[in-house]
Amino acid sequence: MMDFSIKTGKRLAIYASGLGVISLAVGLVEILGGWGEVIPGDLFGGFVLVVMAATYLFGVKGTLRGQHDGLSFVIGGLFLTAVFGVLYLLMMGADGLMYLLGEAEALPKFSDARPEIWIFILSLPLAQRVRSLTARMTW
Amino acid sequence: MGGFSKDDAASILAERRYQAIADILETAVTKSEGKWTYTDILDHVFLHRWLGIPIFLSLFWAVFAFTFSLAEPFMVMIEILFGWLGGVFGAGISNPHLASFVAGGIFDGLGSVLVFVPPIFMLFLALSILEDSGYLSRAAFVMDRLMYRLGLHGRSFIPMMMGFGCNIPAIMATRSIDGEKDRMITILVNPLISCGARLPVYVLIAGALFGAEHAGTVIFSIYLLGIALAIIMALIFRRTLFRGEPSPFVLELPAYSVPTAKAAIVHMWARGRLFLARAGTIIFGTVLVVWFLSAHPWGATGGGELIENSYIASLGHSLQPIFSPFGWDWMAAVALLFGLLAKEVVVGTYGILLGVEEGALGESLVSLGLFTPLTGFAFMAFVLIYVPCVATIGVIARETNSYRWAAFAMAYLVVLAFLVSGLIIGIGRLLGFS
Repeated sequence: MMDFSIKTGKRLAIYASGLGVISLAVGLVEILGGWGEVIPGDLFGGFVLVVMAATYLFGVKGTLRGQHDGLSFVIGGLFLTAVFGVLYLLMMGADGLMYLLGEAEALPKFSDARPEIWIFILSLPLAQRVRSLTARMTW
Repeated sequence: MGGFSKDDAASILAERRYQAIADILETAVTKSEGKWTYTDILDHVFLHRWLGIPIFLSLFWAVFAFTFSLAEPFMVMIEILFGWLGGVFGAGISNPHLASFVAGGIFDGLGSVLVFVPPIFMLFLALSILEDSGYLSRAAFVMDRLMYRLGLHGRSFIPMMMGFGCNIPAIMATRSIDGEKDRMITILVNPLISCGARLPVYVLIAGALFGAEHAGTVIFSIYLLGIALAIIMALIFRRTLFRGEPSPFVLELPAYSVPTAKAAIVHMWARGRLFLARAGTIIFGTVLVVWFLSAHPWGATGGGELIENSYIASLGHSLQPIFSPFGWDWMAAVALLFGLLAKEVVVGTYGILLGVEEGALGESLVSLGLFTPLTGFAFMAFVLIYVPCVATIGVIARETNSYRWAAFAMAYLVVLAFLVSGLIIGIGRLLGFS
């Protein structure tokens, strides 16, 4: 049974698998010790990205078929992306506050942002599309 | 009814009740085919056979990263405030006893505990958001699969989660568990779930030894260690003291909802104010005793300046041989002893003994070489495991209606603390850590 069109499902699935592959790659690099200044080494942070990637990728098949069953994993992945994107943004805000209190040498730059923040920004168009698909849904 | 056990009867009743509900819903509710709600969608993912537990671990890691990173600037603000107050009050007191008490007892002792109000409130805020969203009951459901496989009761996980706030209400919440054996197991392992009172110790040690970048992860690993030990000990108790099958677990899952800021803040305050109340009573009282013992005999210590000549140093040196295999000095011995009353006192004791302001406490622990990352991690594990506060022991005695079980809990926790900390030190040294 189809819950939305195959065409829409294809677009969503391609976007979600893209996010999944990026999250998986960055997560594995974080687990393996990082890559220069761009991707920090962070065991648990990397684990979270791998979980996020798995959630997106679990939903690809069902979304391609236009089923809510698949879309639910995409929504789950978007939820995790948003939680960790916002978390790292808040951490940057806390670093800024530390600078104002004289406890840090410089204000955090946006170029120093964690990859999770960029993945969160990348996920926003998908979130917008999913939101319009589920606009009539209730809690 | 001869062929039914109490557990069978409970599961049959639950099954019949849900069948009756389903029958009524079928006649009363018209549900369109293919209509999903947000709750269906989120449950499909969060309760997933393979993803459920990794997502639970990810969200709990987020809680601790949030707690540590966001609390830091607020901790600095409190340090600045206490530094300023210390300057204002310290200069105006001519009586040396009173000046020593204000500087050592109030500002170094109590002040070093109050600095940890922000991470405790942040932890409670994060837990409130998870609870209000409806996720915490899902976490219990997800863990039930694992726990049942280990021969434990899923409902045990709810008091365990409550234990992250405070072990006392968590142990009282075990009254909701039907099976007496399940309840006893849950009571006995609950102190291994790290309560908010232990957080200041972790934040101090992890922040000083592992740096701000890795402190959240180290603290998270200590919390995970507590959960793992609770599961292992529950399994041991199930196989030895309380043999039998766990009773069936029936849990109503509420619909998800978007938590409101007001509700989250109200819940945070309701839990956090208990910490403030403890700071004003038992922590203050204990800090007063520690200050007295560290500043007396007054003549020998030169008004609290030569702490090595104090009563507390004598006490610490007599206890030190027990802890020296772990690489901990007499101050750690004294801090752990007074930490029996309330875990926050461990931090307050260091504040008084080192005689430094709150902000410099972590730096002093490192610069004086009191801990290495290995011995510091083992110390955090010891604080996690050894006897919870006296109030928790009292509640165990009351809820089990037996002082013997309370004494048993104290004994096994102390033995386990020595065992686990010893293992950490032993394995760490084998791996080449100092």
